[in-house]
Amino acid sequence: MAVKISFKLNGEDVSINVDDHVTLMDMLREEFDLFGAKEGCGYGECGSCTVLVDDKAVNSCLMLAVAVNGRSVLTIEGLAGPRGELDPLQKSFVEKGAVQCGFCTPGMIMSAKALLLEKPCPTEEEIRKGMAGNLCRCTGYAKIVEAIKAASERGCSCGKDS
Amino acid sequence: MRRFTYYEPESLKEAIALLEKNGETARLLAGGTDLIVEIKQEKKSPDHLVSLRRIPGLQEMDFSDGELCIGAMVTHRMIEKAELIRDKYSLLADAVDNLGSVQVRNVATIGGNICNAAPSADTAAPLVALGARLVVEGPAGERQIPIDEFFKGPGKTDLGAGEILRCIRIPALPQGAGSCYIKHARRKAMDLPLLGIAVIIVPDANMVCREARIALSLAGPKPFRAEQAEAFVTGKPLSEEVWKQAGEIAVGESNPRSSFRTTAAYRRKMIGTLIPRAAAVSLQRVNRAWMKG
Amino acid sequence: MAKTLEPKTKEMEFTSIGQRVPKLDAWDKVQGKTMYIHDVKLPRMLHGKILWSKYAHARIVSIDTSKAEQLPGVRAVITGYNTPEIRCGFIKDNPVLKKDKVRQYRDEVAAVAADTPEIAEEAIKLIDVVYEELPGVFDPEEAMQEGAPLIHEDKGSNVLKLPWKMICGDVEEGRKQADYIVEETYKLPFVTHCCLGTSGCIAQFDAKGNLTVYSPTQIRYLAQKDFQEALNALGLKGKKVKVIQTAIGGGFGSKLDTYPFEFITILLAYYTGRPVKLVYSREEEFFASPGRQPVRAKISQGCTKEGKLTFRDVEMILDNGAYTSWGATTPSVMMMPISSLYQVPNIRYVAKCVHTNNIYSTAMRGYGNPQATFAIESQLDTLAEKAGIDPWEFRMINRNKPGEITPQKFEVGSCGMKECLEAVKEKLQWDEKRGKGNGRGVGIASLIHVGGGARIYKSDGCGTILKLDDFGKVSLLTSASDMGQGSETVLAQIVAEELGLHVEDVDVIMKDTNLEIWDAGAHASRSTFVAGNSALYAARKAKEEILEFAATMLKEPKENLYLRDRMLYSRNNPEVSMTIDKLLRAAHFRTNGRQIVVSEFYDPPTQMLDREMKGNFSAAYTYGVHGVEVEVDKETGQIKILKMVIAMDVGRAINPMAVEGQLEGGGAMGLGYSLMEELHLEKGKVLNGNFLDYKIMTFPDMPPIESVIVETYDEKGPFGAKGIGEPPLVGSAPAIANAVWDALGVRIRELPITPEKIVAALEGKKGS
Repeated sequence: MAVKISFKLNGEDVSINVDDHVTLMDMLREEFDLFGAKEGCGYGECGSCTVLVDDKAVNSCLMLAVAVNGRSVLTIEGLAGPRGELDPLQKSFVEKGAVQCGFCTPGMIMSAKALLLEKPCPTEEEIRKGMAGNLCRCTGYAKIVEAIKAASERGCSCGKDS
Repeated sequence: MRRFTYYEPESLKEAIALLEKNGETARLLAGGTDLIVEIKQEKKSPDHLVSLRRIPGLQEMDFSDGELCIGAMVTHRMIEKAELIRDKYSLLADAVDNLGSVQVRNVATIGGNICNAAPSADTAAPLVALGARLVVEGPAGERQIPIDEFFKGPGKTDLGAGEILRCIRIPALPQGAGSCYIKHARRKAMDLPLLGIAVIIVPDANMVCREARIALSLAGPKPFRAEQAEAFVTGKPLSEEVWKQAGEIAVGESNPRSSFRTTAAYRRKMIGTLIPRAAAVSLQRVNRAWMKG
Repeated sequence: MAKTLEPKTKEMEFTSIGQRVPKLDAWDKVQGKTMYIHDVKLPRMLHGKILWSKYAHARIVSIDTSKAEQLPGVRAVITGYNTPEIRCGFIKDNPVLKKDKVRQYRDEVAAVAADTPEIAEEAIKLIDVVYEELPGVFDPEEAMQEGAPLIHEDKGSNVLKLPWKMICGDVEEGRKQADYIVEETYKLPFVTHCCLGTSGCIAQFDAKGNLTVYSPTQIRYLAQKDFQEALNALGLKGKKVKVIQTAIGGGFGSKLDTYPFEFITILLAYYTGRPVKLVYSREEEFFASPGRQPVRAKISQGCTKEGKLTFRDVEMILDNGAYTSWGATTPSVMMMPISSLYQVPNIRYVAKCVHTNNIYSTAMRGYGNPQATFAIESQLDTLAEKAGIDPWEFRMINRNKPGEITPQKFEVGSCGMKECLEAVKEKLQWDEKRGKGNGRGVGIASLIHVGGGARIYKSDGCGTILKLDDFGKVSLLTSASDMGQGSETVLAQIVAEELGLHVEDVDVIMKDTNLEIWDAGAHASRSTFVAGNSALYAARKAKEEILEFAATMLKEPKENLYLRDRMLYSRNNPEVSMTIDKLLRAAHFRTNGRQIVVSEFYDPPTQMLDREMKGNFSAAYTYGVHGVEVEVDKETGQIKILKMVIAMDVGRAINPMAVEGQLEGGGAMGLGYSLMEELHLEKGKVLNGNFLDYKIMTFPDMPPIESVIVETYDEKGPFGAKGIGEPPLVGSAPAIANAVWDALGVRIRELPITPEKIVAALEGKKGS
């Protein structure tokens, strides 16, 4: 059965008819052509499909599309500024070598975004714990941790060395 | 994924009616992190999914008269961040702290964790140790179920047709209690426990054990209290030696199984090893709690 | 930290080489703009799905597809009975759709193309297959016994006829010379790549019957050849095949062969006349995408009182699974450490690959080297201890040296083994930390790997085309593949350096068999070396043309001219300077002018292994040493890795950030292999095909990895560089096993090194 839902998608109000059983990830990919959220496992075990719902990181493969009715969804496509200027996280992922095959990268960055929204200057331990739901097979995570630290230093004013 | 109809009732009454109407073909949807996976894997095949997300009150936590009441739709993330739980029910904070990922904890609920009745549920052993009571509402009204009567085996609970868990009531712990939950797993994150060990200790002023509770998960078909070990410790000085012996007694009360994840022998050995460790951490927390007080 | 070298090929400092240049495709990747196979949609595209076998070994009595065919939205249902036979694998023993019998759970029995993935999935369930179960065999040693069920009746035996035997010197003589000998058995599990992007492809025929396959393959050109053969089987002789590479969501060897699903997709596209996409679910990826081969290794080594190795004798049995892919050829690489890791005069190696009803295996990062090195390097510690020599000293005594020729006839050029050993010793504080016991310990392990390509095929070549435009920009068309390791960036750096341009002036194009020349594929850690040399030589040709034109135009001797920072300069005449783009326009817009386009095909100066399995099959060899410090909980058996040092002789780090990425990523994969990864099979069926139960390292699991880049400048490598893709995982497991030995005095001879095994070993030790 198709249901009409309305929500905020990357800052814009959208409405769409969606079947009850469709996941948020499938809706983003199939209906909105937003391919950033990737299906790495489909079971919430790899984090490649991570998007933000009301500023919280969720696995979009496990959330039903109908459940975002009235909420706000942010995907990797909505992270850069209006003229395409990269978010500090995106920038530092590039500069620090945190990207290899890149399949996990959008989910990784969205998880990091949620982490920094909640905790602008996390310690390394907090980064590792907060990012634990995102698997990467290429990098060994070291450069991702470095990138998140660098981005947090850019956006953080507490002056703490993390 | 299988097609189903999704409902967002706005009251428990409405939800119960939907369950009654659709019987076996309906299932409740809480956070969905287990259920959606099971539907994708075709382990469950409901035609109707009744979401609890719009029902008022289910997402609330309330602490009054020394009793903690956690709504069924409270997420693990909310519990993780609740200072009060970290202070007063450390073992429950331990359990949610390392459950799944942030993404999972943001949506997965304590009610879902309990009602799914997976032997590996991280909150099960702590809630058993805490003597939680489950407040359930159904077609015939409300009833309360002690948690150790709630679990009936892997995937099985005492919930009857049309019944919905509303909240979990946790009685106050005695003054000066310390507690701890150890999740023994292979990885540091994103893992299921090979063994879950929950311990609560209440010492008296001379550090003699006034009360001890030991609850284990994955040490048998369902979570249980190691009552003989508890009885052994009670009234004894809280020494390492006493807890080692208690650990061994608990091993005798356990009946873990072997699978590709680990062996029964290893699980048994870890029960004996980790109960004293959980006790040691609990004891430290007692001291800390006293200092705070 | 890199030991800096004086640039040897230039009189000036490098501008691109040695810089931490961010990966060129990272900008798209961080914005979610990169298209993986999962993201590609073509007009009127259908979705394919495979019906897998229900049994590990069974006769197919009948297949009824009628119900599936009647389902609305289903466009084709194919089986081995209604399609021409296509076989894949290097000995072609794997029919892409099984007829008569199935030999493993992952056998393809039928396939469907439908309008949506959901319809395809539903249709698969409507196919009725009647099986008659056959007794299976799941242990290679049992499969070798007489009377064991035959997996392939036509082969007459479960043991593959492959030439895996190598003799160097005289092992018996070596035994006699030895004062100390150790003999042991090691066991390695099934593991799998776990690329975050699952396998998949899209096949499409045009109106003339030519085929285009979109695929994240690591071997565009070899795949093109395999698909061409499929067209022949379809009676489409003379039709063309084009392979378009989509972004690769992780490779690690998994995409080094062609597999039945790709041919099935081609068949579905052929029979429907529409593009068909088939992508594995994660569950399918776990059981249907072949992994790394399990190995049992009996190994003995001996040494003199002085610690010189006198012989190495290795026998292996490999569980080949039901069909043959590259997994069966990993012994050809295992020979490398067995013959050439340390100086060992007498060597014997025999390996048997045995069919079972288990799933089959393919290439995986290290290609046999991790298994062989685990046995060799673990045992070296035991032998050193027996001889009363410190394991680090023992390795120094026997280490490889620059310029040596090994018993397998490898001509070692540069060799930084000594530097790596010294660096790891220092970083680990070996002398202070070793031998303390009590739950803490340190361990090391060395490795050798091919670093200058590997002549597996008669050509190990790679082609480059460079097109210089009128604006001073370069199109670099390379046949190399990037699966995340950063080849495109490294190649751009090489070309920019040589042409005096900036990296951002170079556009790298690597995607289409019609556009680029040919390449043997992204394997054997060969891209930086082989594709790098190809790009370098192409750039030299282009430079030559530019300078020649400039010399004539400016009437300045050519040898005085050089390119740097987008400019042409003269060494002798400060008056001469011109921007490169202006120079290129001047060369183009004139009578008889032209744009500069050059091509190069580079094939390294190497030999194929001869009948004795000897020969210099790589143009350079990479060496490295892993060091770890562990703390083991004696009661729970849990290992905490306190520190991991990986020192690698990379020749020269063209991009140190990318090298570190390989070291850290390889280190993580090696730690997973060492500590937690294992695909559990029960009678051929995968029990843990998901990321919860097949455990790879997560963020909190990873210890700090210290990368030490040793630069020895290999004369044959581009700017001195050698390959580094695979080595960083090779030595992890033996280094950890050795550290566990140092910590507890127990030797774990089977991976993964789990707490259960440590607890059991400690109990065994107590008991003895």
